[in-house]
Amino acid sequence: MAKVPRESAELIDARERVADDRPVLDPLLDTAPCGFVSFDDDGRVRVANRTLLDMLGYSLGEVLDRHVESMLAVGSRIFYQTHFFPLLRLHGRADEIFLLLRGKSGEDVAVLANAVRRERGGEWITDAVLLRLVERRKFEDALLDARHVAELAVAAAEEANRAKSDFLAMMSHELRTPLNAIGGYVQLLEMGVHGPVTPAQAEALGRVTRSQQHLLRLINDILNLARIEAGRVDYDLQTLSLHDIVMATMPMIEPQIAAKGLRYDVDVPLELKAAADREKLEQILLNLLSNATKFTHEGGALRIEGAVAPDRDDFVELKVSDTGVGIPSNRLELVFEPFMQVESSHAARVEGTGLGLSISRDLARGMGGDLTAESTLGVGSTFTIRLRRG
Amino acid sequence: MNEAVVYRNNVKVFGSGKQPMLFAHGFGCDQNMWRFVTPAFADDYKVVLFDYVGSGKSDLSSYDAERYSTLGGYASDVLDVCHALDLHDVIFVGHSVSSMVGVLAANREPGLFERLILIGPSPRYINEAPDYVGGFERSDIEGLLETMDKNYIGWANFLAPAIMKNPEHPELASELVASFCSTDPVIARRFAEATFFADNRSDLAGVQVPSLIMQCSEDMIAPNAVGEYVSRALPGSTLRLLRATGHCPHMSHPEETIAVMREYLRTPVESGQSAARVR
Repeated sequence: MAKVPRESAELIDARERVADDRPVLDPLLDTAPCGFVSFDDDGRVRVANRTLLDMLGYSLGEVLDRHVESMLAVGSRIFYQTHFFPLLRLHGRADEIFLLLRGKSGEDVAVLANAVRRERGGEWITDAVLLRLVERRKFEDALLDARHVAELAVAAAEEANRAKSDFLAMMSHELRTPLNAIGGYVQLLEMGVHGPVTPAQAEALGRVTRSQQHLLRLINDILNLARIEAGRVDYDLQTLSLHDIVMATMPMIEPQIAAKGLRYDVDVPLELKAAADREKLEQILLNLLSNATKFTHEGGALRIEGAVAPDRDDFVELKVSDTGVGIPSNRLELVFEPFMQVESSHAARVEGTGLGLSISRDLARGMGGDLTAESTLGVGSTFTIRLRRG
Repeated sequence: MNEAVVYRNNVKVFGSGKQPMLFAHGFGCDQNMWRFVTPAFADDYKVVLFDYVGSGKSDLSSYDAERYSTLGGYASDVLDVCHALDLHDVIFVGHSVSSMVGVLAANREPGLFERLILIGPSPRYINEAPDYVGGFERSDIEGLLETMDKNYIGWANFLAPAIMKNPEHPELASELVASFCSTDPVIARRFAEATFFADNRSDLAGVQVPSLIMQCSEDMIAPNAVGEYVSRALPGSTLRLLRATGHCPHMSHPEETIAVMREYLRTPVESGQSAARVR
């Protein structure tokens, strides 16, 4: 028991000796694994510990009364005057400041400095602890470099994507011109303008026409996607009645629905309004209805439903549901990728470019909304167009 | 009063005097740096403080990269503040880089200013062989920019919050950010470049407004040789060598700074115009 107060007294004594700011430091501070230096507002060094002196190759006599700046690399001296000292003076402390020290033989030593400025014995003294950075500086450089590289990579990727979109847009135009010529001349041949056509020739010309039209649709889809990606689509947002839009779109898809013997019902309140571009919304809806029809077996049903979004009353939703083959959950997001078609054992591969949903989502987002999907394999799918309320 | 400029530059006005003293802070700081000297002038003058756009509590959305790529843009801030408050016979007090900003402003509209008080001025920080000693080489300034990067977007702001992960003490991460007077690394870097790569030597000869040069002892940013160069090149200037050391006498030695400023302000403008050197 008797030993305890004696130890405390020694510790207090040690603290007092540091607090007295005598040139001789407590040996404890000399063994600390980080540098320690005290200086006044003029920057004159009052004490420095052994660790700091060894770090820089100085003797104590060489730094006492010298300006603390003399221990800094030139760039850090400016930083000391413009940032570090003002921080100390205005806030009384500075934490985690990166500084480059300059050793006696001119080598740089990176440190992290924590400092406190306080009144002691009638004058203002700053005590600074300097933690040497060796590995951490490398990591930090690597992180800063990586950030820089990542920024460059993002810029390069954006540039490449733009170039691709420009190329696609240009090529689509170039391809459409000869395809239209093929279509036109086949039509002239079929009409017998260049002489009578035999039944075998007529059948061959019919195949040419179907192939030409398929190719044209494909190219139109690519052109649409490229236009969206190149940011060349203008949206003419108006307040539209969703009921009117659905009613205007249904006649375009009814023949296919009827041909497959599907049932459908529409439940869209008359007063439901969205801020949307009429042409683009009809394009999205037609695409969703066309997909739903394609992927639903004969005898199945479609449903078109409209409502205010359940989570936010400044948005509305238009849902197209089917009782079709469904999409496996792990492929659900992929259907929105360009050129994707979900392979399914339940259905034969359906003709198409695989661009429809990708374009539809881009258009929905371009109008400030979104297009999302939910599905259960074998039960059906629901695609939701989300739009700002009109 | 133009409220837009007052808001943009976070202009603060106090004091019971009529003649305005406009205090312009230096690189790395904001108007707070003047708080140890301004109370001494509040009885006799109208004290006007502001932050350059990009510093302190200025409106960052008004920052224009092109305007502030040279000190001329900062001089425009000074003139904007003068016009916004309809200031005349202005005593301009500029620290460090703001000395040259004041020179540029006074050259554009000499009629606005009664005199300039320049603390630690340097018209050119980089040495120009064979006969100009600014104190720095280009590589030194690049060293400063690296140190700034480390402190603005390096450890302090960019890495520390992520690594420290102290959700119960968010103030630990934000404290540093609040402490630097410009928190935007890009703006701070551009200000550093505008400051330390500038060459305003040719602007000194045209100054018509009398001035006081306050030269610190042992100032490594603006060494004595630079202060002497400025006093030779600046017509109507008075050079005072301070006992204060370092680069920020208004923060490290406010009493001496106030005393020297007061003494200069007591001298009539006419005698201040002679290029007499007072030691």
